[in-house]
Amino acid sequence: MKRFVAMLLTLVMALSLTACGNSGEEEPGDVTQDQTPEEILNNADDIMNRDFEDVYKTYFSSSYASFNYFTTSYATVREIIANCIDGLVEPDIYGVYVPSLAESWTSNEDQTVWTFKIRQGLKWVDHTGAETEYELTAQDFVDGIRYIGDPLNGAYSLRVIRDLISGLYDYYWTLDDIDSGLITDQNREDVVASFDDMVGVRAVDEYTVEYTLESSAPYFLSLIESSMLLLPVEYDYAMELGADFAVDNEHMLYCGAYYVSDFQRDKAITLTANPHYWDKENVTIETVEYQMIPDGTTSLEMFERGEIDYTTVEAEAYLSLQDTEWADNLLPTSHSFSTNYLWLDFAGDNPEFNIFINNENFRKALQYGLNREAVASLREPVDPSRILRNTINAEGAIYDSNGVDYTDYSPLKEIKETDYNQPELARQYMEAAIEELCDEEGNIIGCEAGTVDYLPVCSFDVDGKLPVTICYVGTDDESEIIMAQLFKAMLEESIGAEYIDFQIQAYSGWTYGTVADPLNYDIYFDSLSTGYADPSGLLTRMTTDGAENVGCYEVPEFDALVEKALAADNFEDRLQYFAEAEAYLCEGAYLIPFISSLRGYYMSYSVPYTSPLTLYGNTKYKGTLVMDEPLTIDEYNTLTAAYELERAEALGANG
Amino acid sequence: MEEKKKVRQLNPLKFRAAIFDNMLSEDVGYSNYSYWRSTLRTFFKNKAVLALVVLIVLIILMGFIYPIVSSEDPNKASLLPLTWNQRPSWEHWFGTDTLGRDIWTRAWYGVRNSFLLAFCIALSDVGIGMIVGAIWGYNKKLDPIMIEIYNVITNVPSTVYLVLLAYIMNTSYLTLFISMASRGWIVEARFFRNRILSIRDSEYNVASRCLGTPMRRIATKNIIPQIISLIIMEAALCIPYSIGNEVFLGFVGVGLPVEAITLGNIVNQGRASFTLHPYQMLLPTIILCIITVAFYVIGNKFADASDPRNHI
Amino acid sequence: MGKYILKRTVNSLITVIIVFIVVFMLLRLMPLSGYFPQEVLKETDEATRMSYLRNQGLLDHPLVQLWRFVKNLFHGDLGRSLTVYPQVPITTLLAEKIPVTAAFGFSSMVLGIILGLSLGLLMVRFKDKWGDRLGTGYILAVRAIPNLIYLFFIQVWISKWFGLPMVFYEDQPSSWILPVICLSLSSIAWYALWLRRFMVDEENRDYVKFALVKGLPKKEVWKKHIFKNAIIPLVVYLPSDLLNIIAGSLVIESLYAIPGTGGLLTTAIKSQDNNLVQVIVLMYAVTSVVGVFLGDLLVAAVDPRIKLTEEG
Repeated sequence: MKRFVAMLLTLVMALSLTACGNSGEEEPGDVTQDQTPEEILNNADDIMNRDFEDVYKTYFSSSYASFNYFTTSYATVREIIANCIDGLVEPDIYGVYVPSLAESWTSNEDQTVWTFKIRQGLKWVDHTGAETEYELTAQDFVDGIRYIGDPLNGAYSLRVIRDLISGLYDYYWTLDDIDSGLITDQNREDVVASFDDMVGVRAVDEYTVEYTLESSAPYFLSLIESSMLLLPVEYDYAMELGADFAVDNEHMLYCGAYYVSDFQRDKAITLTANPHYWDKENVTIETVEYQMIPDGTTSLEMFERGEIDYTTVEAEAYLSLQDTEWADNLLPTSHSFSTNYLWLDFAGDNPEFNIFINNENFRKALQYGLNREAVASLREPVDPSRILRNTINAEGAIYDSNGVDYTDYSPLKEIKETDYNQPELARQYMEAAIEELCDEEGNIIGCEAGTVDYLPVCSFDVDGKLPVTICYVGTDDESEIIMAQLFKAMLEESIGAEYIDFQIQAYSGWTYGTVADPLNYDIYFDSLSTGYADPSGLLTRMTTDGAENVGCYEVPEFDALVEKALAADNFEDRLQYFAEAEAYLCEGAYLIPFISSLRGYYMSYSVPYTSPLTLYGNTKYKGTLVMDEPLTIDEYNTLTAAYELERAEALGANG
Repeated sequence: MEEKKKVRQLNPLKFRAAIFDNMLSEDVGYSNYSYWRSTLRTFFKNKAVLALVVLIVLIILMGFIYPIVSSEDPNKASLLPLTWNQRPSWEHWFGTDTLGRDIWTRAWYGVRNSFLLAFCIALSDVGIGMIVGAIWGYNKKLDPIMIEIYNVITNVPSTVYLVLLAYIMNTSYLTLFISMASRGWIVEARFFRNRILSIRDSEYNVASRCLGTPMRRIATKNIIPQIISLIIMEAALCIPYSIGNEVFLGFVGVGLPVEAITLGNIVNQGRASFTLHPYQMLLPTIILCIITVAFYVIGNKFADASDPRNHI
Repeated sequence: MGKYILKRTVNSLITVIIVFIVVFMLLRLMPLSGYFPQEVLKETDEATRMSYLRNQGLLDHPLVQLWRFVKNLFHGDLGRSLTVYPQVPITTLLAEKIPVTAAFGFSSMVLGIILGLSLGLLMVRFKDKWGDRLGTGYILAVRAIPNLIYLFFIQVWISKWFGLPMVFYEDQPSSWILPVICLSLSSIAWYALWLRRFMVDEENRDYVKFALVKGLPKKEVWKKHIFKNAIIPLVVYLPSDLLNIIAGSLVIESLYAIPGTGGLLTTAIKSQDNNLVQVIVLMYAVTSVVGVFLGDLLVAAVDPRIKLTEEG
């Protein structure tokens, strides 16, 4: 436990240091620079002692239908659920896990068995805020796993949980084989009935739930925070409703700080504070009003008119707001664990690209040819370097038990600190690649001219000569098209237009099914996020046969390192091997991570550092304070400085 | 048909069928009346129309000449964030866009591409529409089938087959052309069918036929001139319509390649930052408006001018 | 009359059935992977996906699926949405959305007719003077400026100047003003344009000249003859507006966050929500065919000269 707190302490320290350093750079007039800690704390107290509103008005931008937290992939639904269904544990404002529905928890020595004591006497609440007859018990958590373990329920993003909880993998695939007729000698009902014996989750007594895991998982609490699949469900209720379960707010039950009191499809959602909530004295906002605003520009405009309490500010808008009354209200967004990548296609239909992509020099030419700062400027015009990211897993997301950041482990640290914006180097690498792969007339050796069939995305002719034709596929989103055009300009400039011919295809609709999965691309843009405090979340999916390896590269060295990491005896070794694996993949440029998904700035009426610090999960409104004026950058800096001081104190006392 | 029967039943002593005399039929009051000359004269009498025609010719010429003369690459993105979204200046008359590309240059490339595309679509819509319409109008047996086809085509939402089309084909000018031309022809066909029927059955043509004028002569002298003016009007109206339509198709996913510069594409791109950089939309919008207004007015005035009643 | 209605009904039914079958079969040509959002595709394997499709009945022969749909249709079951609103019954969806769109559609139609006819009258009353020019200017502007641009302008700036809400709130009557105006802009132009044209046509008719010569007061002639006769051809289009009333506008509904049917069809097609698409197409086809039919009946009702017979 002590180790764990120490780890979190460092985690949060490191995070805030980066945040603090950055805000200092951007705002030369940081008010807290010359102040003593006492002054800072006093100023922060002044802010915190104001009167606060009890309504928070925010927005969502794309329509969605279902509140089914086990199947949804919509960000807004996940945010609403995070506020309406509590998990076993939750982070406090410093990111330390504190009891939520579980009062206490223990794990065994190697962290493969986790036992949680559930709060007693809690009832599920319906959409009017009235208590139902259903009591919240350990069985509800077991039933959550039972629900997602059935393939017919179509749980979303199941893989991590399915492979972690012992027996769930076999249970799931047995059912699936029965459904698809592969297994005929077993009866579906019998397998379903054997759930309690097969799967490593059980209700020890009415208020104790125990998870048995396949492997050591020191990160299990962060997984509870981030994954919707470990949430409880009232099984009889859900089964009775069948397909209607959670299609709207009236067909579901709540156990969190809020319940969905009003739901107008594609228009508005209202969360109302749950009167029977176990922690209701800490719920500060009475009502959270969501409304649908499909357009980003409109949300900024509506914020300026005071109709909503929060808006993101994109780079262009940031610049145009500089000379207005809102200049003081622009706050930097602090972190994003999501990273943007370029995927390279190793098995596509384009013979020119195929020959070159298997050459490391060519991949490095692409890697060094990207002007990452220029791309970052599209999102953060003032200090683009703060959103650069060279690694797959985010900095500040994973710490070992000594508080060392995972990205500071040896081979990965070098990757992290490399400056990849080196056009001359890119050109040298390209020339080296051409030396190896082309004859003197510029014919690519072993490459035949022909037509590349990437339909329905595109089809084009290649001539088997330089320049190498590269087909970049992105979505038809306006900002992504602009980014693609920037890629084209920078690569053709650094590598040379005589060597590569960069073609952009913008494809609308579901890109994964038509572009990535059938390998209808040469280069493809995507983002992935570190989901919980362990590198395995991303790296095990990137192995040769991993789900996330959409480019179909084959890197046995990487696979071996991942295997080694998974089999490691302790968490430090595990991280070390993972870091080596990740560094190997980045060093060989099998895929190219380049920036984080952070989008510049925001404006808000809410006071920062008042709600749980949900690094891996979704925003929670519990505890949030809403002011009657938009927060200014000075207030923000004061509060940030005060937060650092208080946190150091709070965590220091704990340690 | 009925008239002929009646002619036979009449008393030959009292009524004689007139013998068609080629010479006499030319012998009319207006000796040197030329339909086309009069049409053009009436058309150009209006000074505003003349100005519009000149303007539109200038714009189109500019669209074709500028890309040849200019050395500026309209797709060249700049890597320096400072050159992005510049306001209008001497160097960039209408500013630069999100990636520092010159809007003035892009606009003219856009005019050329959009106009070529629109011209092809107008040609196919009106061309196919007229042929089908003529057959449809001529053959009465076809009528119920054609009406059914018309109903079905206009009732199946175009998005359904456009999405399918996008699935089968590339984003290219050809795809865009096919999807834009896929529906217009039947609407035009119906329009021409109705016009042809009403002209054919109008009193003066019936009268002319009774007097024994051969159908061929009625068709060449009385029907086709009227139809041609309609064709020109419809084609003129088609052009602005198809430029506007491009935007919608891009939304469905059968639009043009990203690199293709058309007025529709430019307007679409500028829309995202409309509130922040309104000047980016200025030039493309103005050109788009001029083209639309000009073709609309020209089409209508030409239709007026081609009406012989307005010729004196 | 009865026979005519019967025949028209049968014809309309045939059209609807053909349209529906064509769309239904076209939808089955779409790739199976399209039934899954990309997040789901990534996480699942082939076997899981196929078992899902089998459970949804999407792997059956299209004709079997068609038969099942028709059977359920007669039981009042339209199925559940597949991808856009997973598992939500389509009847629920439509019951939520159509009233909202219809309310906007109906208000904008009324506004469009009132303002459109007034503008048309103004144009005729001051023909070739300021009124005419004002109207022509308006009509041209609506047609020429890309609609995204003026709609955006209205939403951002007009709402600021007049202190009106930027998006629609159910409980705030003033938030109706801008969307309704935006929705009626083009129909105002349409009514004004055609009313002017038909009235000018009527004005030149012999019976009008005769009536004036006879000494009837000008006002009387205008009110009783010209206006009445000019309005009849417009009446035929009224029921066709039914379709617009329930189909909504994609752009305007999305700008003002109106939870209506506007983008429903396009979204459904793009996300390959076949169950939803076929219901919407069926509904639209029925509405538009019924609209045309009603239009003809309405004209027959208001115009004593028109009799509905076999000749139609």
